[in-house]
Amino acid sequence: MVPAGQYHAVMPDQLGRTVSIVVLCLAAAVAIGYVTFGPRPGASGHGDRIVLNYWEKWTGTEAQAMQQVVDAFNASQDRIHVNYLTMSSIDEKAMLAIAGGAPPDVLGLWSFNLPFYAQANAILPLDLPGIKAETYAPAVRPLVFDGDTQLAGVNTCSSVALYVNLSHLDRAGLDYRNGGPPRTLEQFDAMIPYLTIYDADGNVEQAGFLHMDPGWWHWCWPGYFGGQLYDVETDAATIDSPENIAAFTWFQEGQRRYGLDRLRRFQSAPTDSPSPYRNFLSGRLSMTIQGPWLARVIAERAPDLKWAAWPLPGPAGEPGAPAGPIECDILVVPQGAPHPEEAMEFIAFTQRQDMVELVSVLHAKPSPLMEVSSEFYFNHLNTSIAAHEAILHSPNGFGTPPVATWPEMNAALDAGIDRIWNGNEDVATVLADVQAEVSAQLERARVRRERRGQERYGAGP
Amino acid sequence: MKRFRTLTGLAWISPWLLGFACFTMLPLAMGLWYSFTDWTLLEPAIPIGMDNYERLLGDEVVHIATWNTLLYLVISIPLLTIASIAMAVLLSKPARFQAFWRVAVFAPSVLPLVALATIFKLMYDAELGAMNKGLSFVGIDGPNWFGTEAWAMTAIILMNLWVVGPAMVIYLAALRDVPRDLNEAASLDGVSWWGRLVNVTLPMISPVILFNVIIGFINAAQVFVVPYIMTAGGPNRGTYFWSMYVYDAAFKYGDMGYASTLGVVQFAAILLLTLGLLLVGRRYVYYRGGMT
Repeated sequence: MVPAGQYHAVMPDQLGRTVSIVVLCLAAAVAIGYVTFGPRPGASGHGDRIVLNYWEKWTGTEAQAMQQVVDAFNASQDRIHVNYLTMSSIDEKAMLAIAGGAPPDVLGLWSFNLPFYAQANAILPLDLPGIKAETYAPAVRPLVFDGDTQLAGVNTCSSVALYVNLSHLDRAGLDYRNGGPPRTLEQFDAMIPYLTIYDADGNVEQAGFLHMDPGWWHWCWPGYFGGQLYDVETDAATIDSPENIAAFTWFQEGQRRYGLDRLRRFQSAPTDSPSPYRNFLSGRLSMTIQGPWLARVIAERAPDLKWAAWPLPGPAGEPGAPAGPIECDILVVPQGAPHPEEAMEFIAFTQRQDMVELVSVLHAKPSPLMEVSSEFYFNHLNTSIAAHEAILHSPNGFGTPPVATWPEMNAALDAGIDRIWNGNEDVATVLADVQAEVSAQLERARVRRERRGQERYGAGP
Repeated sequence: MKRFRTLTGLAWISPWLLGFACFTMLPLAMGLWYSFTDWTLLEPAIPIGMDNYERLLGDEVVHIATWNTLLYLVISIPLLTIASIAMAVLLSKPARFQAFWRVAVFAPSVLPLVALATIFKLMYDAELGAMNKGLSFVGIDGPNWFGTEAWAMTAIILMNLWVVGPAMVIYLAALRDVPRDLNEAASLDGVSWWGRLVNVTLPMISPVILFNVIIGFINAAQVFVVPYIMTAGGPNRGTYFWSMYVYDAAFKYGDMGYASTLGVVQFAAILLLTLGLLLVGRRYVYYRGGMT
């Protein structure tokens, strides 16, 4: 036993030195082990093939659909292997990966991401043999081309249409079989009271149509009225234009039709399916705007539902040229990608008609291409795919504004929409406030371009 | 020998020194630099002087976020302090199953905030949520919690009270340290329970109160997870806090230079207000044996 006084003297001299040497030896052993046995660049397990990393945002069934395309590409040649990774928050992760100098070879983004990445020169222009703007449906072209330069390939595309519970229409005596879908907004509005049912306490038991269900496309309402949020020619916000005021006044009337309290109770009521589609699938909502994937959801969760999809009418739409929002899932090659040429080869493969149709069918979406095979319709899960195609090929189909500041613009719009919907505020006043906020955003974007000597994205021919 | 000792000491703490330098000091310095630049993250940063700071002054969203954050601080810190002291005083009294009650109060603090926020979001549902169901039992028609700015803010502040555990545990320890003879002397002098609490107990634990207030303040000034999950800042930005704007500016709007400016100002504000609290503390906090 060491006496206390002596112990303190012994500690630094012997024990301390021994412990330090042991720790240093351990650290050195770990370092040598890592260098000797650690991962090797290129040790991919795919022989001499070049390995492409492809990041995609999808999960579940949608991710599996794209896996089939990846497998087909990997089997089609022996030079390149695509390593397919699906992930959440892909746009944020991609931004960090590009900034950190370690981007993947291929990135699957949304079309509304493109202006930001393109404006920052963070993606490479594509050179895809045999592909030109005319390959794609008209509304798709501006979403992936900047002038004559193709910046993205298209995985799938979707337009938003009006999904209708046909049993409700039958019960309400609305003769859609002979009369067809509503052709004007007035006709559409007139249908809603017939489809709305109140219980004895005045609660909404069945709603005809709700603007906030699911509430994913707030920015779309002006498009049905011939309005737009942004003028590409002048690079100016047009939020408070008369068309937009009319659109959002109609939107606000949608809330007043029921009243906020009734809507609150309706949206909170229990249903079997806790999903964004729950009201439509459970038969509590007669009509809703949705993307074409709803057909797949209905087939899985409510196969007995009798439904159809029509374009939502509006002053801007007309028979044969309906209006409606359009979004695309796109493929880009980020700046700094390790294998850009091989990445473009893969994207070119995904743009083949058979590959596009394979994914589109499995996603229940329309084809973004001009040429569509007859098998495509034969196999298609969405029996109303024609409605989505009509919007996609219509001159009145529209996407999000082609501005790098779109997420910020959308946040300002969302705050304004909260005021219009919940606050019952004067629509023109609210839109004037949003207009001021968005104009300031665009001005900052202009100053940023000037600092960098850049052309504005979307200003090309 | 002395040199060896110093080197050994430094070697032992080198992982922390290295971590502090790489993951705290360097980002701080870089954040300060980037706050004077226009940086989209995807392109090289361009120095722009004070432009970001000038923009901040006129930014309506900054005004909203500042107001919301201050409101949250001013209401939630006193409430949290009172609630945690009250719980500590209650749980310091001898009672049956005392350990169980202490664990029950502390347990919510162990849950991840994301899970708590998700659960509370369901509990606040206007029709089906436990909150309004509970209120209806006592004849109160519960509000639409996330329907208006004021109720949404109230919902977030009330949820914050659920995690009084860590502060409560520290107060419990401090209460055990209050000299019993002081309380007994006051009791003999006929001082009531409330009088002893206010005039003896609280002054004796005042350094701990200051500590908890400062920690609570620093956490509350950076509130992010709960409103992000429960309200996403709405309605009408009524629960949009400063940290949410930093995040959005950086990762949603790709405006990293401005986000750095927001971060630097937030850091400076927290630092200054913390120093202010310490100064106030000098005046009102009682240190047994004097302040060192």
